Amino acid sequence: MSKQRKSKQPIKKRVTFSDDTTVTRQSHGHKKDSIDHEHPPVFVRKTWLTIPYHLIALLYYYIYGSEFDSTTLLFCLLPTQVAYLIVQFNKCTIYGNKRLKINYSLLLVSIFASLLLSVPAAIIAVLFGAPVVNKLFETWLLGLHASFLSYPVIYSVFNCDFKVGLWKKYFITIIVGGWISCVVIPLDWDRNWQTWPIPVVVGIYLGAFVGYTIGSYI
Amino acid sequence: MRGILGFVLVAQLLSVLLFAIGFFPQKNVMNGNATFSINKKLQEETKQPFKKLVLIVIDALRSDFLFDESSSNFHFVHSKLNSGEAWGYTAYSNPPTVTLPRLKGITTGSTPNFLDALLNVAEDDSSSNVKDQDSWLKQFHSKGYRMRFFGDDTWLKLFPLEFFNDYEGTNSFFVSDFEQVDLNVTRHIPRQLEKTEDWDVLILHYLGLDHIGHKGGANSKFMPAKHREMDQIVGKLYDNLDEDTLLIVMGDHGMNDAGNHGGSSAGETSAGLVFFSKKLSKFKIPIRQLNARLPITSNSSDYQYLTQVQQMDLVPTLAALYNVPIPKNSVGVIIPDFLQLLDPNIIDTKLLENYKQLLELSKVEYDDELFNLNVFDLEKRSECQRIMKTLQEKLIAATTEYDYTMLAIGCFMSLVLTLVMAIFSFFQMASNKYFFASVLLASILGFSCFGSSFVEEEHQIWWWVITGCLFISAAKTMHYFEHSVILLCLRLIRGWNNTGQKTVYPYVISKILEENSTLQWNLNALTFFVISLNGNQNSMWGFISSSTLGILCLAYKATWAVVNKEIVPWYIQNIMDNCASFFQDGNKKDYSSTLIPMASFFLHSVAAIIFFTLLWGKFNKHHPSFSLKCISKYVTILMMFLSSSVNIPQFLIFEIMRSFISKILKKHYNSNIYLTSLISLCLQNFAFFQFGGTNSIATIDISNAYHGISENYNIYVIGVLMVLSNFAPSIYWAMFSWDIIYDIKETNFNKWASFTKSKIPTSLFNCIVGLCLMLACVMFRYHLFVWSVFSPKLCYFVGWNLFMNAIFGWVLEVLLLSITN
Repeated sequence: MSKQRKSKQPIKKRVTFSDDTTVTRQSHGHKKDSIDHEHPPVFVRKTWLTIPYHLIALLYYYIYGSEFDSTTLLFCLLPTQVAYLIVQFNKCTIYGNKRLKINYSLLLVSIFASLLLSVPAAIIAVLFGAPVVNKLFETWLLGLHASFLSYPVIYSVFNCDFKVGLWKKYFITIIVGGWISCVVIPLDWDRNWQTWPIPVVVGIYLGAFVGYTIGSYI
Repeated sequence: MRGILGFVLVAQLLSVLLFAIGFFPQKNVMNGNATFSINKKLQEETKQPFKKLVLIVIDALRSDFLFDESSSNFHFVHSKLNSGEAWGYTAYSNPPTVTLPRLKGITTGSTPNFLDALLNVAEDDSSSNVKDQDSWLKQFHSKGYRMRFFGDDTWLKLFPLEFFNDYEGTNSFFVSDFEQVDLNVTRHIPRQLEKTEDWDVLILHYLGLDHIGHKGGANSKFMPAKHREMDQIVGKLYDNLDEDTLLIVMGDHGMNDAGNHGGSSAGETSAGLVFFSKKLSKFKIPIRQLNARLPITSNSSDYQYLTQVQQMDLVPTLAALYNVPIPKNSVGVIIPDFLQLLDPNIIDTKLLENYKQLLELSKVEYDDELFNLNVFDLEKRSECQRIMKTLQEKLIAATTEYDYTMLAIGCFMSLVLTLVMAIFSFFQMASNKYFFASVLLASILGFSCFGSSFVEEEHQIWWWVITGCLFISAAKTMHYFEHSVILLCLRLIRGWNNTGQKTVYPYVISKILEENSTLQWNLNALTFFVISLNGNQNSMWGFISSSTLGILCLAYKATWAVVNKEIVPWYIQNIMDNCASFFQDGNKKDYSSTLIPMASFFLHSVAAIIFFTLLWGKFNKHHPSFSLKCISKYVTILMMFLSSSVNIPQFLIFEIMRSFISKILKKHYNSNIYLTSLISLCLQNFAFFQFGGTNSIATIDISNAYHGISENYNIYVIGVLMVLSNFAPSIYWAMFSWDIIYDIKETNFNKWASFTKSKIPTSLFNCIVGLCLMLACVMFRYHLFVWSVFSPKLCYFVGWNLFMNAIFGWVLEVLLLSITN
């Protein structure tokens, strides 16, 4: 959709990765006449609809149902995230003054992009202290979880002019969730849920939950 | 203002020291020597099974080195164990598992106290000896046994020399020497075997195996050869001794897989213990050994093989076998298997004697009714043994008495100081978010004192805090490149060494560098090159002096490596040869003789250059930052000199990080002094842990404390070098803040105002963490881990406070500042 719109514009296109704060601020009092048609304001509506209930369900399944099987959890995460995007998150995303319809090809592109982004996500995890050599697969799995948790945001980034500045907070809450959850790793309780990457997986799910819930208020 | 801070510093140190005095009191021991108390006449007249004793202590001989198929090369020992001429045990050695307290345990049979572990490192002579305490050596001596000792000189410090009619001590501190230290012991053996009638007891203490462990870990490639060497010695001694001699081979403690010891993990506390005698084959073999075939294939990693005994059990066992009274403070129980060796008439008497002695130690009245010699049958005997075991457990668990007045004074002083400091710094740093940052940081660290695993894994907390700060800073300033570079550097440093007690990663950078010596030395050379060059582009004097020092240091480190049988690249070999030729007489290529003159020349040069730099700065009225910059460069090279060669490339990473952090601080944070001081504090701690330091006594590194020290060493010089080498990376990061605090570009610069400002966050931090630590120590004084976790942490805290904060942060910095203009 964004591609079609862009191709119609003869004016020089600008893709900005900067934090476009003016745009986010406008979201409070958006008026039709103040909208810049080249870069219309993008924001997420403040509504209960953004709460990702499925993440809590998934966590419940992860902790009590699957004995911390991170791979199965990932396979459950993917369809629910797509559903969440279609049913909930996209409906709250306002581009200009209207909701955008779901772009199905972009959904697939975003899945692919999430797959690709799991590698930088894993690299970030490694930079933040994840084991590299002997637990590489687990670390990559963590990266996959992180990137699929941010799947709705990745889709929205593609869909709304690459305004990374607006969406940054969602990535940040996921990272912060993972960072905080590291606290339990050094404890000597010798529980099976302390093995890598389980605590951080739980942490990023909680981080994402908080992020999607209150993201529009930040 | 500086006065108040100085007062807080002194008072805080005092409070911690007072607390420590109350927390580590000397243990009460019973004085005097034991005598037989029951059936005195019968005991004195009985015939003892053995006449002579040979005790071979092999330092850090873990149980699996003797018994396990995968790691043991003691083939002679295996054959004798299988034939029944030897009985093997896994002996539990009570933590702290370092040599001195363990030797006390083996000889007096008492449980060690924590101070002994420290004294083992400090090698203090006066307070650690057991000259007045009852031990089996003392009992043997008063019975007229002629004893000889060869090996680790700790024994000679522990016992009066008149116990031994022939002795020679070897020094345990040249850790990189695996061979000579043992050959010095072994060379005495032929003489002893020629004239066996001249002695009754022969004690040998071998250190080589422990040295290999410290250098290369439990699976070092030098291990098998050392096992075979020790095995041969055991074989030679055994074959040349008669029936009436008991030969004991034992470890004083074990080691963990990294080769360290001191803590309470299974590997460290499981020492091997084997008794050899031709006589033993006539008796019933211990039940667990009967069903086992040595070497044992075991797939569990708990290091438990054959029968398990307490190491202290050796003491009453020896006393019974050689018919001497059981030493007064012994908590050992005679090993049941050995009762059959005694005269049948005396077995029960010996058991009762042991029982009575344990009762006396636990301050319980002896009850005639329970056990009476007239009605002692097999059932009673086993019940008696069972009761003795429970008594022993209680005695081992009983902790030392705390001096509660001292603890209270320490805590109270610390509480008052913390409040004063908090109020003072709140107004000093008024309306400043860095006040809250300091309090938050201190609270995180203070809170972590209450969890034993957080203390053990403190490096994780620092890592967590640093990555968090970096993340916030990156999100705030949005200069991702600089922050990513710093994060990458931090991650490399984190992957450099294994630290903490929980995880041992097989692939850490230091291991990789150890295996690729060419890569390691190329990196080391690059590090020296960069450090000497960086920041000296405009100063001829700085460039010449630091590159000279750098080359000298590199040459010394390379020579040290070559002497330790490592390989260095050809160009470093060239530098080394050139340097060595200055310190050698004649043309003979003997690198080991050049080590000491080279190192002492280096140390003297550093001192001289620092002195001249200060003088030059004073004379030319340079800005203080100029002299400080030069001095921090020289000190950095000194720190590299005192670090192990695999850690040297870390300084290169430090240098990169330092330039980026300085840039960020200057550009985005307006060179804020409080922030700089906090960052410096975090990085000091982080780097300390990533150099391999932990909060455990086991990782105090002494191998770098002997550079430039000759045989007749001065203990204080070694002490200073030891502290410097352990704090080397922390010193680097303490000096990092000088760049920013005493910046030349700062307008209306006042060095004393800057100094005071920079010390406020650290003082606040130390007060809060100190208070929390004291409370944690009081709270957990009966905790299982009090000796292995909380006490060492308290010692480290004293060390950090005394050295890094008071001596380096205050005394030296004030001195430097007052000398410069």
